[in-house]
Amino acid sequence: MRTQRLTAIGCALLWSASLSAQTRTVAPETGIVTWETQAHGVTLLMAQILPDQARAFYGNRGLPTAATEAYAKACVFMTVLRNDSAPGAVHFRQADWSVVTASGEQPPIVAAEWLKRFESDQLTQSARIAFRWAQFPPEQTYQPGGDWNQGMLTAGLPPGSKFDLIARWDIDGKPFEGRLKDVQCAK
Amino acid sequence: MSNVPSSMSRWSLLMMGWLSFSAWADLPPLTHGLTPISPAVEAPTLKLTSMDDELVDLASLRGEVVVINFWATWCPPCRREMPSLERLYQAAGDEGVKVLAVDVGEDEDTVFPFLGAIEPSPTFPILFDTDSSVMTEWKVMGLPTTFVVDPEGKIVYRAVGGREFDHPELIQQLLQLHK
Repeated sequence: MRTQRLTAIGCALLWSASLSAQTRTVAPETGIVTWETQAHGVTLLMAQILPDQARAFYGNRGLPTAATEAYAKACVFMTVLRNDSAPGAVHFRQADWSVVTASGEQPPIVAAEWLKRFESDQLTQSARIAFRWAQFPPEQTYQPGGDWNQGMLTAGLPPGSKFDLIARWDIDGKPFEGRLKDVQCAK
Repeated sequence: MSNVPSSMSRWSLLMMGWLSFSAWADLPPLTHGLTPISPAVEAPTLKLTSMDDELVDLASLRGEVVVINFWATWCPPCRREMPSLERLYQAAGDEGVKVLAVDVGEDEDTVFPFLGAIEPSPTFPILFDTDSSVMTEWKVMGLPTTFVVDPEGKIVYRAVGGREFDHPELIQQLLQLHK
């Protein structure tokens, strides 16, 4: 069992070592920053969502003010994972990903966790559906040739915080990971 | 922010950015690949009311190739691919390729203004899955997700994420299902 685990970790390190260079771009009109990397045919991209954008988006879809405010301040990113040309189906669970800071690491906050936190806010059905499905999927499988999703991911950190995101997935049982370094929450 | 036009506030720019992420995030281009489902599986029931207040039943479309697109107005890739679905419908509708767009969790008041802003505006049926139960039945894990149902009522292709549905190769792939 221990050998298997070490092999898996070794493979993950091997695959992550061959990641292509990370890019960082800043939108001139808004100052919004996007980070992107590719690994073994998979693209990972994160773009800041400003707290005001998150407030406007969910406020317009009926999320109560208290819930909107808590979410908007939780470090939100528009996130894309896409299987461009991986050698097989890419499967991931967001619970396996890590938000890494100097003080430790934690998984991103998934939709189910947010909805649990919002229980006392009595969301309408339409607000609940919009919230759930605008989030980056908690688990998904992308076939080669262009399967992808775009959704909101929350790091659960204060505005302006810096962290690395480690996204983990497997292809035919082999573990892979991609890391975006020095990502910063919008302020 | 010195280069922001004076007539536009930062707020409106941010909202424009939200409405079209691709304007400020370098999103990957849409592809036209469909994933074959092998073996093909029987399509779940799909019986929903359309924007024209008509009950649309997938079962009544046996003999046609049906493209079923799950979407919502707040989903950027859904908006991105919607014009290509209409162009597909215009190109292949008369040859037995039907399109159904299933909006998830919204109502007509929300969807109608959005459709008017799309060019070309969809002329295929827009259906409403207001409680997302149909989406769950079809095992959709993220929006948009599109299924292709063959003339025998079986799911033969799936696409997760936005696509360019009017690509000639994709149209040909769909027309082949009639042969």
